[in-house]
Amino acid sequence: MASTTTTGGHAHKELGPGRLFLNWAALIVLTLTTFGVSQIKMPVNYHLAAALCISVIKVTLVVLFFMHLWHSEGINRIVFVTSFVFLLVLMFFVMADVGTRFTLSNSRIPPMPRVDQTMMPSGMPPGMGQPPQRRPEGPGQHPGKAGHP
Amino acid sequence: MQASAVRKMTPEGWLEPPPLPHHYDTVENHQNALRFGMWLFLGTEVLLFAGIFVGYFVFRTYFPEAFEQAGRHLSLFWGTTNTLLLLTSSLTVAMAHYNAEHGKNRNAFWLLTVSILMGAGFLCVKGIEYHDKFVEAALPGKFFHFTEITAPGGPVFYVVYFFSTGLHALHVIVGMSLLTWVAVRCWRKEFSPTYYSPVENAGLYWHLVDLVWIFLYPLLYLV
Repeated sequence: MASTTTTGGHAHKELGPGRLFLNWAALIVLTLTTFGVSQIKMPVNYHLAAALCISVIKVTLVVLFFMHLWHSEGINRIVFVTSFVFLLVLMFFVMADVGTRFTLSNSRIPPMPRVDQTMMPSGMPPGMGQPPQRRPEGPGQHPGKAGHP
Repeated sequence: MQASAVRKMTPEGWLEPPPLPHHYDTVENHQNALRFGMWLFLGTEVLLFAGIFVGYFVFRTYFPEAFEQAGRHLSLFWGTTNTLLLLTSSLTVAMAHYNAEHGKNRNAFWLLTVSILMGAGFLCVKGIEYHDKFVEAALPGKFFHFTEITAPGGPVFYVVYFFSTGLHALHVIVGMSLLTWVAVRCWRKEFSPTYYSPVENAGLYWHLVDLVWIFLYPLLYLV
């Protein structure tokens, strides 16, 4: 052990088996909690939020203590947190796009013909194959002037 | 592995560590570099799975009913069993790291063996679940012929399900291979307080596999 005393690094701030075991117990309790919460009757979005919150807590515990990021060099923390930041960037912009789409009602493209739903594979986004909710308002109208539905 | 054949056993009961590469000043310098490299790699792994998770949320927005219906058809029992298996294997891997760092190679070997067996158990459970899905034709895309999911989007759910759990299972297999490799080296008593980075980095990879499952489990099985 004498060879490591000069390092002054993480080796002496390590987590012993007791702490690791405690961390494991906390993770098991959180797993049972998320299972229990999923059995409660409530709107699905609340379920999604609760499940994600508990998952984030569990992941934090794993990363900080099992993966030793708690007392690791700062550079490793920067790397890992950065990758999560970019995950959130990707998630945010993609979901902002998907969540705010609407049928283009001010274009000159004629409405799509109604497709027989029974003929389609059951994997089409809702709204596909149905005519847009607003008809085009005639030629000559500037596309930018029509308001959003 | 030729180097280990000529390395001598120290009085403490482990093999002499391999010589420090000349471009590192200290042992800790070397360890930090190895650890940093692993974290960089794990960062890219997070981004790899990020694509799959974003796909999950996009398709969930398109087909909320199908995702709810299909989620109820996954086995809660097997899903929860697998979660508990992976979390426990993470504990044993973390303990193996601790033991290897203290030169207790035999303890580390047995802890790694238990972890590998739990990984194998995880894959067996996954196999049972995949088998059930194939039997009821709850499959991706055009192979989908599962009548119990009536809402549109059933085939899309199973694309997400099979790709996310499949990529994760691939990572479990890679993780088990890495753990086997370091377990063999533990058996040869190669690790010591100044040389344990292989155990640490293989462990970090295993924890990442666990981390991905922590998100997959509630999103697929519970919500």
